[in-house]
Amino acid sequence: MNGAISRGLVVTAGLILLWQAFVWITDVPPFLLPSPGRVAAVLWERGDIIAGHAAVTLSQILGGLLLGACAGVLAALLLAAFAPARRWLLPVLLVSQAIPVFAIAPLLTLWLGFGMASKVAMAAIIIFFPVASAFLDGLRRTDPGWLDLARSMGAARGAILFRLRVPAALPALASGLRVATAVAPIGAVVGEWVGASAGLGFLMLHANARSQADVMFAALAVLAAIALALWFAVDALLRAAIPWSRETFPDEETTP
Amino acid sequence: MTEIPRRALPAVASLLLPAAAAAQAPGRLTLLLDWFVNPDHAPIIVAEEAGIFRAAGLEVRVVAPADPNDPPRLVAARQADIGVYYQKNLHLAVDQGLPLLRIGTLVGTPLSTVTVLRDGPVRTPADLHGRTIGYSVAGFEEVILNAMLAPHGISVRDVRLVAVNFALSSALMSGQVDAIIGGFRNFELHQLDIEGRPGRAFYPEQHGLPIYDELIYVAHRDRARDPLIRRFLDAIETATAFLVNNPEESWRMFIAGPRRELDNELNRRAWGSTLTRFAHSPAALDQNRYARFARFLHERRMIRSVPALSSYAIEVPPAA
Amino acid sequence: MHHRAPALDIAIPGLAFDGRQVLGPLRVVLPAGRCTALLGPSGVGKSTLLRLVAGLIAPPDGTRIAAGDGAPLAGRMAWMAQQDLLLPWLRLRENVLLGARLRGQRADVARADALIADVGLAGRERAWPSELSGGMRQRAALARTLMEDRPVVLMDEPFSAVDAPTRHRLQDLAARLLAGRTVLLVTHDPLEAMRLAHKVLVLRGAPATAGEIAVPGAAPPRDTREASVMSAAAALLESLAA
Repeated sequence: MNGAISRGLVVTAGLILLWQAFVWITDVPPFLLPSPGRVAAVLWERGDIIAGHAAVTLSQILGGLLLGACAGVLAALLLAAFAPARRWLLPVLLVSQAIPVFAIAPLLTLWLGFGMASKVAMAAIIIFFPVASAFLDGLRRTDPGWLDLARSMGAARGAILFRLRVPAALPALASGLRVATAVAPIGAVVGEWVGASAGLGFLMLHANARSQADVMFAALAVLAAIALALWFAVDALLRAAIPWSRETFPDEETTP
Repeated sequence: MTEIPRRALPAVASLLLPAAAAAQAPGRLTLLLDWFVNPDHAPIIVAEEAGIFRAAGLEVRVVAPADPNDPPRLVAARQADIGVYYQKNLHLAVDQGLPLLRIGTLVGTPLSTVTVLRDGPVRTPADLHGRTIGYSVAGFEEVILNAMLAPHGISVRDVRLVAVNFALSSALMSGQVDAIIGGFRNFELHQLDIEGRPGRAFYPEQHGLPIYDELIYVAHRDRARDPLIRRFLDAIETATAFLVNNPEESWRMFIAGPRRELDNELNRRAWGSTLTRFAHSPAALDQNRYARFARFLHERRMIRSVPALSSYAIEVPPAA
Repeated sequence: MHHRAPALDIAIPGLAFDGRQVLGPLRVVLPAGRCTALLGPSGVGKSTLLRLVAGLIAPPDGTRIAAGDGAPLAGRMAWMAQQDLLLPWLRLRENVLLGARLRGQRADVARADALIADVGLAGRERAWPSELSGGMRQRAALARTLMEDRPVVLMDEPFSAVDAPTRHRLQDLAARLLAGRTVLLVTHDPLEAMRLAHKVLVLRGAPATAGEIAVPGAAPPRDTREASVMSAAAALLESLAA
C-alpha cells in the first residue's frame, strides 16, 4: 500500500515537471496553458472556494454512482431472471446508450430542476449501462458445471440466481463498476454545464468566460485528482469485497 | 452579382485612393465571430456579399466558433487576425494578461437585458427580490444585477442565480426561472413574442450600468499599425453605410446562398431591431466610454487595475 | 437414518444430440446397494448417460428410469462431476454444506465437519478452495456429495483429476463411505473399475450399447496385489483398446 502511494506521488510529481517543462520550452501564453506555479497559486488563494465547488461535484458523482450502480444491478437481475424482460427491455437499454448526453441534459434540467437532482440523474444515466451490461454478462456466463450441480441438488430458481449466478458474476460486476467510476465525473460535469449554480464544471465555465485560464485549470486539476482518488478507492473496495477472485497478470506468479 | 456591387463601388472608390491598396495582392484575414452567424453580424455579411472586402483588396475568411470564449484566446495566440468580442469581457481579458486590442466597434449600444415575462409577477427590478434568475455564462450577471438592484436597496444576495447556459428563453417560458439576464434585446424578446409569451426588458444602462459597446472587433496588440486592419475597418464602414441605406437588399444578401436557413421569422424581426444599433463609424473610439467602464469594473473589484487606455483600445490611425 | 438403497432399472430408447445418435437403445440395471462401474472409449456417451440418469438432460420419449422399490427417484440422487465444482467464494465448510444452502434448509454443521474429517481434511474447514491442492479439492467434493446423504450416488470420473497414489487413497475412502448405497461410477480406469465395482459395464459403438464384463469374486475395495484383480483389469484394458 505504501509502495502504491509513493509511486503515485512520484508519477504526479513527474507529470507536473513535464507540464512545467512544456510551458518553458514552448513558451505557450498563460491564457492558453498556465504553468503549474500559477495553478498552485490559485489553489492556494481560492482554496476554500474551489473546495466548496469540489464538494458539490463530488457529491453529485457519488450520488450518480450509487444510483446508476443500483439501477444497473437491478436491471441486470431483471433481465437475467425473466425472458420477457430481455425481449422488451434490452432494446430500450441499448437506445439509452446511443443518446448523446448533452441532448438529454436540458430535458433533465427541465424535469428535475437546477439543483443536484439533475446532475445526479445525468451521472446515473452514464453509469447505468456499463454496470448493467457487465453484470448481465457475468450472470449469463456462470460455469455450467455449477448450474448442473445446483440442479442435481434440487435448488429452486431463486436460489440458483442469488446464491450461484450472482456471486459468480461479482468479478464481472466489479469490472463494470470500475468503468462506471471512470466515467462518472463526466456525467456530473456535463450536467453542470447545462444549468447549475455550483460545482467544478460550473466553475470552469465561469473561469472560461472571464478569461481566467489559471482558475479553469485549477478546477480541472482538482477534478482530475477527484477522478483518480475515486477510482483507486473503488478499486481497493472491490478487491477487498471480492477477495476470492484471483486477478493476476500474465507475468505474475500464481499460487500452486 | 448585378447592380449591387456597382452601387457600392462609389464608396469603395474612396478606399482605392491609397493606390498601394489596389496594387497589392489580396490581404488575407481570418475573422472569428462570437457565435453562429446571426443578424448582429450584418455589416460583415454585407461586406462579403457586396464585394466590398474584395474591392478593398481583402480576402476575409469568416469563422463561426461554437464557444464565444474562443475568439479572444485564438486572436491573442495569433491563430486568427480579428475576433468579434464583447467590450465588457475585453476589460477582464486584458486584466488577465491577454494581449488584445480593441480596433473597432460592431454594435455600438448595449444589447444585454434582464428580461421577465410580461404577464409575470416582476414589474420593476425591485420585484426581483427572492426570485430565481437564469443567466448564460458571461461573467457579468452579478455586476449588472448589483448595479440594477442597488437603487432599490437589494443586492444579488437577495436573488438566486442559476446558470442555464444558452437555454435562456426556454428557461423563462417553462417557468424554471422568473427572469433571465444576458438575453439580447434584439433577439430573446422576439423569441418570446413568437412563442406567444411576450417579455418585458429592463435595460441595464437605464438602471445604473455605464453605457458600453456590446460587440467589438479585437486584434492582437502588435497589429495596431497593420494596414490590413485599416482596410478591413474601412470596408466595414462602407458596408454599414450600405446596410443603413438599403435594409431590404441587405437582408436578401444576408439570407443568400449557404445562409438560406437563416431566413426565418426570428431573424427577420431581429434584423429590424439591430439595424439602428450598428456603429456608423466602426473605427471611432469613445475613450470616455471605455475608461468609464474600466473604472466601474475596478470599483467593483472585477479587475485588479485600470490600465492605460491605449494599451487595450485604440482608434486605428488613417492610412499612411 | 440410512434408508435401504434401491436398485435402478434404466431403459432408454436412444438419445440423439444435434442429429447424431449418441446412445442406442439401452437397458441398464444397477443392483441395489452396489457399485456399478461404467467404462468405454472417450466420447462414447458415458457422461451423457450419467447426466440423463441424474436428470440433467431431458429424457427422450419412452425413457424409463425406475427405482426397484417403486418410489419416485426425485430427491434421492446425488451427482458428483469430474471437476470438483467448489464455489470459490465459499470456504470449505460452506461448500460441503452447499446442498442445504441452495435448498434453504438448516445447515448441519456438525455432520459437515465430521465428513470433512472423514475425507482427511480436518482442520481445513475455513480454507478457501484456492488454498487447497487438486486432491484435497476432490476430497472436498466427495464430502459434499456424501453430505447430501442420498441412497443413489452418480459419479462422473471423480478421481481422474488426481495422481495415482491420491486416486488409490480416494478409492479406499469412497468404497468405505459409499458402502450400502447404489452407485453408478463412470470411469476410464479399468483398475479402478476392478477395485471398486460389483458390476462392470462397457459402453461401446455408435450408437452406444452396453455390455457386461465379469469381475473378480472378492468384495470391493479389492487389493491390487491380487492376481485376479490385475489380470481382470489388464483384460479389460486390452478389450477397451482393441
